[in-house]
Parts: sequence; structure tokens; C-alpha cells
Amino acid sequence: MSSSATKSWLKPAERPEIIDTLINGVDRYNPSNVGILEDYLYHQARTNEYDCLANLAILKLYQFNPDLYNVDVVVNILLKALTATPLPDFNLCMALLSERPGGPSGDDVDAEHDPNVLLPILSSLSRNLAECRFPAFWMLYRDDSLTHLRENFTVEVVGFEDGIREVVVKAVKSTFTKIGVARLGSYLDLSGDALEEFISAVGWTLDQNTGTVSIPPNPDNTIQATVVRESITLPQLAKLLAHAQSVA
Amino acid sequence: MSQRANYYEEELDDADDLADVGLNLTIGNYGQGGLYEDGMPRIDEATLLAMQQHVAQQVAFAQIPDVVKRFIIQFNNAIVNNNLQEITACYENGWNKLTEQFYPKIEWPEAEIIAPLVNDNPVFLILYRELYYRHIYSRLSPNVDDRFHSYENSCELFNYLLNSDGPVQLTLPDQWLWDIIDEFIYQFQSFSLWRSKAKAKTEDELMMLATEAESTGGSQLWSCYSVLNVLYSLVQKSRINECLAGVKEGKTEAEIQQIAGEYGSKPLYRMLGYFSLIGLLRVHVLLGDFTLALKVMDNIELNQKAFFTRVTACHVATYYYVGFSYMALRRYNDAIRTFVSILNFIGRMRQYHTRSYQYDQIHKTAERMYALFAICNCLSPSKLDEQILSNAKERYADQIAKMSLPFTATTPPNSTTPAVENAPEEKPAPATGALAAYSELFLFACPKFITANAPPYNDTEALAAYIADVPEEPAVRHLSLFLDDIRARAEVPTLRSYLKLYTSLDASKLAGFLERDEEELVQLMMVMKTASRSVTRMNNEGTLLDGQVITTTDLDFVINENMVHVVESTINRKYGGWFVRNTEHAQRVYDALKASPLPITKTTAAGGVEGEPKPTVQEKETKPRAANAPWGASTRKVEFAA
Repeated sequence: MSSSATKSWLKPAERPEIIDTLINGVDRYNPSNVGILEDYLYHQARTNEYDCLANLAILKLYQFNPDLYNVDVVVNILLKALTATPLPDFNLCMALLSERPGGPSGDDVDAEHDPNVLLPILSSLSRNLAECRFPAFWMLYRDDSLTHLRENFTVEVVGFEDGIREVVVKAVKSTFTKIGVARLGSYLDLSGDALEEFISAVGWTLDQNTGTVSIPPNPDNTIQATVVRESITLPQLAKLLAHAQSVA
Repeated sequence: MSQRANYYEEELDDADDLADVGLNLTIGNYGQGGLYEDGMPRIDEATLLAMQQHVAQQVAFAQIPDVVKRFIIQFNNAIVNNNLQEITACYENGWNKLTEQFYPKIEWPEAEIIAPLVNDNPVFLILYRELYYRHIYSRLSPNVDDRFHSYENSCELFNYLLNSDGPVQLTLPDQWLWDIIDEFIYQFQSFSLWRSKAKAKTEDELMMLATEAESTGGSQLWSCYSVLNVLYSLVQKSRINECLAGVKEGKTEAEIQQIAGEYGSKPLYRMLGYFSLIGLLRVHVLLGDFTLALKVMDNIELNQKAFFTRVTACHVATYYYVGFSYMALRRYNDAIRTFVSILNFIGRMRQYHTRSYQYDQIHKTAERMYALFAICNCLSPSKLDEQILSNAKERYADQIAKMSLPFTATTPPNSTTPAVENAPEEKPAPATGALAAYSELFLFACPKFITANAPPYNDTEALAAYIADVPEEPAVRHLSLFLDDIRARAEVPTLRSYLKLYTSLDASKLAGFLERDEEELVQLMMVMKTASRSVTRMNNEGTLLDGQVITTTDLDFVINENMVHVVESTINRKYGGWFVRNTEHAQRVYDALKASPLPITKTTAAGGVEGEPKPTVQEKETKPRAANAPWGASTRKVEFAA
């Protein structure tokens, strides 16, 4: 009851003091601080941490100072946000990437770093995740046309693919008590030993005979019929009754 | 026109001195030049015109009706004497009455014409111009000079407040202070929208915007940085965040005064600081930064006792922007609660405020909030308040009917292969009835989103390219982000209607009903499950952004391999609210009967008792959870095993 679902989103435990002070003060508007925040983003990418609010502060600076716009940073932020689905992080970032992606000078960038190409791809990936179309996500992600995205960007984001699998795990474990292993494999883009390893790592059990994976009970896959009944006690009506009496 | 331009030429010289003091202490200008680096072309023949102008001014002065002259003198005296009651009377009654009488469609006399009446009192003239421009924005249509000069006047006003030697000895009614902040942001928003429409500019306007953009390192006029600067400066000067935190901790009034310091302890600064926080909420929403918008509200409690309730317009605006931010964060339940709370409030105060000049604005905002409420309620049906729901249905019956329709979101279902999005650039499917209804309500009710940066007015080539390929309007962009979420949830109503009929069924059978294959169905079920869980702020704990995950639906299910099991929560009919409403009704009838002039009249007036049950209701309604049981009854959950 008391543990807040938003606590670590609002302030991840790993967030350094200096970043916290920066994004909670007016210094977040100072363009000369963009480097500190960008370094922190690359740190997140390397160490598999995630700090949405700090990343939004970068995008805010880009919004006000289009000449700071750095497409590599933007793509990294969006990839990080993908792994936070079903939280709305991806769209919150997109809302700040307003106006014209790439800022005023968008001509001299090559296709592999052209935000006008990259951002729609990332949006498609995000839509697939939001619609729980996991096999479609992986198919698009593994597509030849996205080689440059994988080779230039996601490879730098440590734990990106596992982060996406985390999204899958969240959706599956709230919906299923048992799921076919082949289906699960297609959601996780894993098969054979790797899949079995993954299943036992998250604490699920695979029944080899039936080919099903059992998912332990959790609040979301334990369903209960409830009846909400109104309950009124006499003291609650005391004011009303006392008033009625005084009028009469 | 030249008169006014010339006048401001002189005025600007003074302003430059002020600018040296610097309004920029809070977040700095970051190389964007001083606030007053205005590129107004100097009109050389100004001196030649001086004589003519003098005569013209005298003529204009003579044309001012005597009653207006008397009013201005009286208004000035009230301000010089710091007589709050007099100021309020002039501000709320005098000004509006004379506007109706003499200036319904034309401008008030320019400040320099009436200056002799007030001994050139600079403070009064700044305040007068504040009203003068506000009148132009609300009643007439501002031209490019008005837009530039109203900005300059705002800067002068804030410079005077922030950069005088110590706090200024000025007292203004809360309403006016709110209006100053509100109007400042409104003019910023209006300028940004006007500026982004590069196509429809005249030569003159293009030239002024180009010169402006050239000024030291970029445009400062109505820039995001300059607007945020003013708001954050007021917040910091008044130490309002520290004060609010102190109030929360239960500090005494004396301690709060201590925290507030020499500025914040003055009502003028404290209120301006407070309203600036609400102003920041609004500016961040306009720029699409919804988390930051809610973050600035960290120290403000949303309840009927809060500071902002002192000014109704502020109260309403706060809830509108908070509610919208929740919507953007996909926290539909929080949004619903926010809208219900304020719409109830507006409903209650309607009878008292119909004559107020702000009523129109409040009424319009209420209509937009009903639309947003309708959207949220379709996405996350709630039975929080039947009255608001039926009001919304009354207004937007068509759209609500369409939004509740099942619709196919993505590419037409292909029954053999799972839908795969191969082409990344693929455009969303054309809007169906439901999507069209969502779009219609969203565009009607959303804030007037703005872009942070101007089109490249100082670069003819870039400007031509810009005009040839105008970027999407911000509202359209925000709409398409919002529709992404709607599309993902498209099938939820359909699924729901089938699931309601079963306690368990085979996934393939359900897929057959929807004419999908089983794999697609399972994916839709996962979407439905995700959509039925939402982060919500519980019991007003923590800040506005805090929350816990709750289940938002009465229909829950789980899949055991291929078998779908369904359970439904039922909410029994509630009698309590009905009982209380009818009791109150009976009371009113009884009072009315007693008060009517029947042959036997009693001396005990009935009016005294009439009001009593009502406060009970109001007081309880501030706790949204108990809203449908206004006298404080709780609903108890009785749980059964499935």
C-alpha cells in the first residue's frame, strides 16, 4: 500500500546527487549543462540504468536550443524509453521532440544518422510493443533495413534486448498462468537452451511433456470476483438525522 | 501608428537602463542578448513630427470623455495611496463599465495621452498599459506593434517588481495579480501561434520579425527563455516553494514569514510567486512537457482549501492543466478525478458568478473539460460521479457513442499471418468513426500547444523552404501521439463485450468471434490486461506525480494456456446518495412551504436552516473517493473466491 509505483521512476536510486540537483533546479535550462546530462545518459546506456526525467531534461534543452540537437543522444534516449513500455515514456519523449526532427539543418546528415529516418522506425517499434505485438517487434527489429540501427545504436545500449524481454515478461506474467513454450519463445525471440535458461532465470517452470510454461501467481494473474457493497452505519447519518429532528 | 512607435522609441531608452540591472538573474539568457535588444527601426522623421504629434495629442486628450478622465485620476489616486478597496473597485467595476460604455470596439486612450492626468506616474502608466493591451487582445485584434509593445510593457512591469531597491510598496487585488500572470502567458502563447504562421505575414511584419531575430544572438521577444525567466524569478524572489513546504510541515505563520523573507512576506509577491507556479504549469503543458508541468506543482496541494481557490479563474485553470497532464501521462483515472472535482465546483458556483466578466472564459474551459472527461471515461470507464457523466453525455452524446464503438485500429486483419509492420514509414490507418470522434474532442479541448522556436525569419532562403514545407502544427503532433494509445486499445471494448458473456471459454473460439487468429487474439488480450492497470495517486499522498498501480476495470481475466477465465466484480446499487438527495429535496420543499406567505406566518425564518446540509456535502466531496456517498459513508469490499 505504501510502496509507490512511481518512486524509482521519479528518482532512481542510482541517480547521482549532482544530476538530481541539476534537474530539480533552474540550472536545467542552462545549455552549458547539456554535456553533464548527455554523459549521464551514456552512463545509463553502459550500466543498464534508466532515468527518464533526466533524459527528458536533455530533450528540453534541445527543444529550446535546436543547435544543441544531437541525433545519437536522441536515439539513445528513445531506445531506453522503449524498454520502459508500457509506461508512456516513449511518447513523453516524442512530445518534446517537437517541430522538425534534426533541427534547422537536416541536409548534411547521412541516412544512418538522419532523424527523419530513425525516428519513424523507433515509433514503429514502440507501437509494436504498446500493442503487445512482440513477434512483429522482433521481426522488424531483426529486419535487414534496421542493420544500421542495431550496429550503431542498440549495440551501445547494454541490455537493450533483455530490456525488451522485460517488457514481454511484464505483459505475459500478468495475463497468463500457463503459456505454450513456443509462443513464449516467439515473444522473447529466444529458443532452445537460451529460452530454457531465461525461463528458469525469471522463476517460471517449463513442463517438457506438455510444452507449457507455468507462471507463479502474482496479483495480476490471480483473478477474483468481488462484490462492492455499500455500507452505511448509523453514526454516518447522525448529522442528517439530527438536522431533521431540529427542523421538525 | 508612427506616433506610438515614436513614443516607444523614447521609452526604450529608459528601458535599456533597466535592462542593465538585469531580469536575467534566475536562469540567465544564455547568449541570447538582453531583454530589450529590440530591433525597432528608428524613424528619423520623428523629430519633424514632434510638433504635429503634440497637437494631435492635445486633440486626442480633449476627446476623452470627462467621466473617463475622472476615473483615471481616481484610479491613480487609489494606487498612489495603496487603497486596496478603491483599487479593486476601479479594477473590477470602473474599468469594465467604462469599457462597455466608451471603448467596446476601440482602444482606450494611449498611455502618453492620459499621462498628464496622473502626473506621469510611471507605475500607474505601466499598470494602465497592462490593462490597455489586455483590452486590445481580448476585444480587438492586436497588430504587430501591439504584440511587440505589450511584451515591452510586461518587461517593464516585471523589472519594476523584481529589480527595484527592495520590494515595491504596491498593493493589488489577488484577481489582478492572477490576471497579470495569466495575460502574460496568454500573450506569449498568442505571439507564438501568430509567429509560427509564416505564410500570412505582411512585408512589414516580416521585416520586424527578421530584425528581431537578428538581434544579438537570436530573438528574445516573447522567447521561452524570457517568459520562463520572469516566472522563475517571481517564484524565487517570493520563496514561495519554501513557504508552501513550510506550511505543509505545519509551521506557524510567524515562521512562514521568516522563511518568506522581505519579498515573500508581502502579499503582492507571495501571490505573484504562487500564481507563477500555476503559470509554469501552463507554460510547460503548452510546450508539451507534461512531467515537468506536474513537477512544478510539487508543493501545491490540490484541494478546496488551497491558495489558488481565492481566484476562481486560477482554480479552474489549475485543474484543467493538471487534468490534461495526467491524460498525457496515460493516467486516465487521475485525470477523471481532477475533472470531476473542478466540474462539480463550477456547477456549484455557477449561480453566483454568471455576472462576472470571467464567467465566459470559465464556462468555455468547463466545456473543454467535459470533452476531456468524456474521452477519459471512454478509455477508462469509471462510476466516480453520475452527475458529471450525464452532463458530459448531454453535451457530447454523438462523440461518446462513436468513441464507445469497437473499431479496428491497425491494418485490416489478415486471418492467416499475424499482422507485421514491415514498412516503418507506414501511415496509420485512416480514422474510423471512433478515431474521428476522439480526434474531434481532443482538438477541441486540448491546450493551444505552441512551438518553442520561431520560423527562420532572418534567413529568406530557409524561410521559403519552411513555408514550402510547413511542419505539423503542435496540436496535430500531440494528437497523433495520443491516438497511438487509443489505437492500441482499439479492440478492448469488443473483447470486453464478449468476455462479459462467459466465465471461461477457449481462446480459439473467442478469436473466431473477432475474426482474428488465435495469436492475434492473445496479443489483444495482453493489451487489454495492460490497459486495465493504471498508475493512480492514492488518497492525495505524495506529489501529483506519485502513484500506485491499481486495477481500473470490473472485468478481469487470465489465460491458462488456451483457456480464458473471466471474473466480474459487481457493484451493488447505492442507496445512500439517493436517500440524502431526497432528504435534502424534502427539506427544500418544506422550507419553501414555510417561507411562502401563507395566512399563518411564523416569525422563525426558514432561511437559516436551509444552508446547513449543504456544507456537509461540499466538505465530503473534497474526498473524491467518497463522492458518491456524500455524507461520508464508505464502500466496503466484500471478496469472494472465484
